[in-house]
This record gives sequence, structure tokens and C-alpha cells, in this order.
Amino acid sequence: MERLSGHATITRRARLLAIAAATGGMLAALPAFAADEVNQERLLNVDKEPGNWLHHHQNYSAHRFSSLKEINRDTVKNLKVAWTMHLGGIEPGGIWSHGGLEGTPIAENGFLYVTDGWGSVYKIDAHGGRGQLVWKMDPKTDRDWAGAVACCGVDNRGVALWGNLVISHTLDGRLIATNKETGQVAWQRTVADPDKGEVITGAPLIVKNMAITGVAGAEYGIRGWIAATDLTTQKELWRTHTIPGKGEAGSDTWKDSNNAAASGGGSTWVTGSYDPATDTIIWGVGNPGPDWDNEYRPGDNLYTDSSLALDATTGKIKWHYQHTPNDPYDYDSVAENVLVDIPGPSGPRKLALEADRNGFAYAIDRTTGKFIWGLPFVKKVTWTKGLDPESGKPIEYDANKPVQTYIASVTPSRTNLETDICPGNMGGKNWPPTAYNPDLKLWYIPVIESCNRIKVEVMTPDKLKPREFWTGGGPSQPFKITGSVTAIDVTTGKIAGKMETPFPNLGGILATPDLVFSGQPSGEVMALDAKSLQKLWEFNTGGGVNAPPMTFTVDGKQYLAILVGLGGAWDKWFIDSTPELKKIQPGSMLYVFAL
Amino acid sequence: MPGPPTSSTRDVMMIFNASSAIARILLMSVVALILSMPAVAFGQSAQATASDPTNAGKAVFSKANCMGCHKWHGNGGGGYGGDALSLRKTQLTREQIIETVSCGRPTTGMPFFVRGAYDEVKCYGMNRAEAGSHMPPEAGTLLRQKDIEAVADYVLAHIKGAGEPTYAECVAFFSSTSRVCDIYKTQAQKPDDATTSTGKSQ
Repeated sequence: MERLSGHATITRRARLLAIAAATGGMLAALPAFAADEVNQERLLNVDKEPGNWLHHHQNYSAHRFSSLKEINRDTVKNLKVAWTMHLGGIEPGGIWSHGGLEGTPIAENGFLYVTDGWGSVYKIDAHGGRGQLVWKMDPKTDRDWAGAVACCGVDNRGVALWGNLVISHTLDGRLIATNKETGQVAWQRTVADPDKGEVITGAPLIVKNMAITGVAGAEYGIRGWIAATDLTTQKELWRTHTIPGKGEAGSDTWKDSNNAAASGGGSTWVTGSYDPATDTIIWGVGNPGPDWDNEYRPGDNLYTDSSLALDATTGKIKWHYQHTPNDPYDYDSVAENVLVDIPGPSGPRKLALEADRNGFAYAIDRTTGKFIWGLPFVKKVTWTKGLDPESGKPIEYDANKPVQTYIASVTPSRTNLETDICPGNMGGKNWPPTAYNPDLKLWYIPVIESCNRIKVEVMTPDKLKPREFWTGGGPSQPFKITGSVTAIDVTTGKIAGKMETPFPNLGGILATPDLVFSGQPSGEVMALDAKSLQKLWEFNTGGGVNAPPMTFTVDGKQYLAILVGLGGAWDKWFIDSTPELKKIQPGSMLYVFAL
Repeated sequence: MPGPPTSSTRDVMMIFNASSAIARILLMSVVALILSMPAVAFGQSAQATASDPTNAGKAVFSKANCMGCHKWHGNGGGGYGGDALSLRKTQLTREQIIETVSCGRPTTGMPFFVRGAYDEVKCYGMNRAEAGSHMPPEAGTLLRQKDIEAVADYVLAHIKGAGEPTYAECVAFFSSTSRVCDIYKTQAQKPDDATTSTGKSQ
């Protein structure tokens, strides 16, 4: 726990001088509101500084929409590589032979902040049409300790900004504040414990001087949580477990005699969203454990596979909406909730949209947690006949049954020990983020079109060991997996378009007024027409795209940036479903495009 | 290269029937799993040291990413990648381990590590065409015969027959400053402040 003195007290004058020097006198060109300190006012009003990208998901509503339009339907054909930068972080550790890049760059006043899989933070000066490394903060992540309990790769999805600090996580469980100008660590705090199977891969969400942290580890018998750290005192303000403790509301949804709740999973490894109007954080919760042996944990297993609404100030649960009760499929609901307001019959409808691993997209009333609409966004769903139009629960769900079987003939269970299921356990839609175009009211989902084969292992309490898999079976990949970008019209809750791709979408989406950007793990970055989803531009990076695109401006010019380096779960566990991707080499590279 | 066959599998091998060869491998695996075997004392006590002749094999165990599925301790276990067999509980002989590493295990995720396996080097009496869809995956890192023998010797000396993983074994494997071994410490080995590291501000 180092604490470096002095760095947090650099004067504002010194900072301004440093910025002025770094930008070569460009300071005068900066808009007055874009000061170099990030505060709540700026985080609430990111639409006032469209050239910057201050939130992991672009805004608190997780829209990943930029109003920049220099790169548009007419000009995108001229989009070219402006500059690239090799990054590091592909070293092996634990059970992983290499790291990958899943991060979203943050952009502020012409500087980019990106991470590699082991949590190093890079500050890059993007002025003058080229990228120059300003500093790199290497947190010296304990690779063997963390990498041995990272189910799904050596990943870090990015940073957040607050004050004069860059806030980041490490796989080995730390929250780190780095001085934005110097790159020196100002302070760090242990939030998660790899000895319990906990690791951190998500970017922090900053709300009102708090860093909100989610945790991974539902494949290792953790009891999940969401935690808030005060960025001034560095103290924990609250920690809300996603599995209720004994006697708490929801604890009666764990009906076993194994104390399954204590290792019940419910991880929270994707950054959530925030509704300032109600001071509510909305965060997705992952699968119950053991993943495929749901008879071990009879009951609905709250709050696994749910969207959870928390009071941001206290962390108290306001409402939840569960998608797959007593999940026997590993159908996490960790995905980001996209907050959207649309006109309704009696005033504006305030929705939270979530695209689930189980293959269904949901719209929930985010003031009450009630189901509005849901529909399958994948082509093949075999585990249920569909959603109940009133409750949104799978039609076969029976609240009186302790163990759900859904369509029993395909559902993994103790009497169906080997079975093929669609979507497979990667989804559906995994962590790669969706994007929402508020003008067109179109919501774009990065789709994994999959089936896989599940083998069930009947679990007993003696099999639960610290830092060992607690999955109750595992998948294999006898089927080819493809993907799509699927657009949903949020006003109707219907699919408005689908652009199928030869490979699953492992990177996520960026929306601009008339374009949609995305990538493929085979290397392509592409721009689609926002309405027709017709491909208008494509560039092959020569690596595997496993991260979302974003856009920003420097010196008045628009750029598109994307990290390239295939890692994550795919090329270790799921590569047999996409054999062509075996030739994709590990890599670690930032691509920046401009007209 | 094949291990000692039973009389029935010997007959099968003579006619080079590929699918039966697979049956033989599966049979061998099943037998290996079912047979009970007393723990071998040296498996638990012998630790790799600087002068340990199996250090080269330990390096191969890391370099070839055996630990990616079997874990550093060799116990393997279920998970996202399927169920890697426990090398601690294995019944395979040195020759059978060498064969399995060289040729992989058809129909499973255990890859082959020898260059030319199922091509110039026949595996279980099969070439690539005969193995067909049962062909195991190719390893990310191919190994020379000497390396395969070394890793087999390391498994025999330090993993096969050992009981539950211990702190001493873990430290011997990693010989680093990583906290990866901390959970194997007994209470007596834990420093007084070992429980203060989580959930606390510095």
C-alpha cells in the first residue's frame, strides 16, 4: 500500500503549466468549460463537451452515442489510419498464456487514457495528428495470484477520471488513483480479494466523489457485491452484496441445506449506469454458482441474473428485475443497463434496457422495476418458448418449483447430464456494450449467435475449494458460432435490422448520428449505416477486435479510436467454435482513425 | 510409443483400426480413473530445488502451459474449458504420460505437443485422416522429445500420487513473490496481519 506524498498537492497553476507545455500552447484553444479537473457537473453534462469521452459508457445512461458528425455517412469512405501505438500487457499469468485488450479509451482535452489487460494505464497525447505516450502507470499486478482465478481472461476495461486523478482497477483487486499529470500513484486501496476468487476487470463508475466497483468470480464460488469508495477519504462508503445474507430480503430464494448462498456467485464485472434524477445506480448481476447444477441451489437465487437498482448514496437495493430464475445455463445479466426516455401514453416512459446472455432484450420501467417489453434478439433460442407478456419471465417458469427446468429436454440438469443449448453460455450478448441512438431511437446490440454443449457435474459441498472452479460442469464447442449487429426500435420493442457477421461480436458498438461502428475478432473495424446497417467502410487491423470503438476530437478534428488485441475468454475456452480465429495472434495495439 | 496394451487391444492394434484405437485410449483412461492406487510418498515430499533433476520438466510444465488446464498443482478440474484430468490421481505410467503429451487425447481438449504428430509420427496407430474428427487440438507450444520426457519425469516426481496441494509445493513451483500460495498456508504459517489486507483502506 504505497502512498506517494506530494503528488496530490500539485498546485493548479503547476498543472496548467504542465498542460500548456504538453499541448504546445494549445491551451487557449480549449473551450472554457473543459477544465482539466473532472467534477460531477462535467460528468452530468457530457453533452456540453462532445469532443471528450469522459465516461466508460460515454454518459451516465450508457448510450455510447457521440454527436460528432465530421465522420458521417458521406465521408466515412475516406476514413484512414491516423496513427497507431503498440501497448504492452500481453504477458502470461495464472492459467492464461497471454492478455488481451477489452478497454474503452477515455478522452479529455486531446489526451487519451487507456489500459492493457494487466491494468497498466497509458496517458497518450493525441494532439498534432499523432500519438505520443505521456506516461505509463504499471500497477505491478500479481499475475499468478490473479490470473489463476480470472475465469475469462486477462482483462481490464478502462479507467475513469475524477478531479486530477485517473481512477483504475487491477485484476488483483485494487482501486488505484493516479495523478493525471505525473502518472504517479496517488493512493490505492484493496477492494477485492483473489484469495476468495475475486478479481476486477470492469472500469470504475464515478458518482458524486465515489468510485463504484464491481467484482468477477462467480465461477469460483464468490458471493458478489458492488462497492463504493469515497475518493477523498479513500474509505469504503458501502458494499451491497448481490446475494442476500441470512434473514435479509430475498434470502428465502436460496432454499437448499448446503448454504449455497455463501458461494452463490452473482458477480458484477460490467460497469453500470446512473440515473441522477432519482440518484439510482443500475447494475447488472451475473450467474449463480455452481453454474450448471441448479439443483444444488433450489430457489430463484436472487439477485443473480438480475438488473439491480441501488440508492447511490447508501447502496440500498431499490428494486430488482430477474431474467433467468434458478439459472441452469450460466446466463449472466451483468450487461450494462441503457437508460432511455421515450414518449408513452401517459407521459415519458423511463426505461432501462438490457440485452441478456439468455438471448432476450428487456425494457424495464426504471422507476418501478416492472417489465415493459422483451424479445429474442438472437435467431435461435431453445431453452424457452418465450417470455410471459405480463411478467417477462420465461413462459415455463413456475414459482412453485424449487428447481426450474424450463424446456427440460435441452436444459442441463442432474437428469440431463449432457445437452446442447442455444444460446450457449457466452450468449446472446456478453460484456461488449450496446449503443443507443437517441435521435433514431435505435438500440444496437453486439450479438453472439451461439449454441454449445453442456456437461453437468453434480456438485457437493466438499467440492467447494478456495480458488478452484465451482461451475458444476462445463461447456464444449461442437457448433460454429457467428454473430450480428442487431438494431431494436425502442419505441416498438421490435427488431429494426440485423447485419449478420461471420464471427461473434466480441467488441461492442459505438453510435453516431448516422453511423454505427463495430468490429470483428477476425480483425475488421467497420462502419454501418445507422438505419439500414449496410456496411459503408471497413479496415482490417490484422489483430482481433475485442474492444469497443469510441470517438473524440483534438484540435477540432474528429478521430475514431479502438484497442485491438484478442484475449478474454474466447481464445482459450471458445475458440473451437470459431476455428478460423486460431490464427489470430496475441497483440496489444491502439488504432486511431481520421478522415 | 503405445503403452503396454492388453491382449484384446493388442489384437485391435494389429489391424490398425482407428476407431478401436480410440476405444483403447478411452478404455485406458477409464481404467486409470477407476483403479484405486495408494498415494506415493515421494509425490508429496519431494520438492523441486535448485539441484532437482526435474527442474527442466517444471520449466516445460509452465512454458507449455500445462498449468492452463491442469493448474500448477496438477489437479485439473472442471470449469469453462471442460474437465482436465487430475495428474495427482493419474494412473498413467511414464510411457503413457509421454504418449499422452506427445499425441494428446483424441476426443478431448488435451492437445498433442510433438511436431508431426498424426503425420510422420503415428499416434495410437493413427494418422490425421484416420483420426478424423477425433483429432486432438495442436498445442500452442510444440515440444521436443527431451522436453516431453522431462515434463513426464517432473509429473512423476512431484505431482502423480501427491495428495492435496501444500504451501511448500506451491512455493517450490512458483518461487516468486506472488501471493498465489497464501491460501495453502496453515494457520501457523500466516503472519499476524494476513487478515487485514482486504476491505480496508490503507
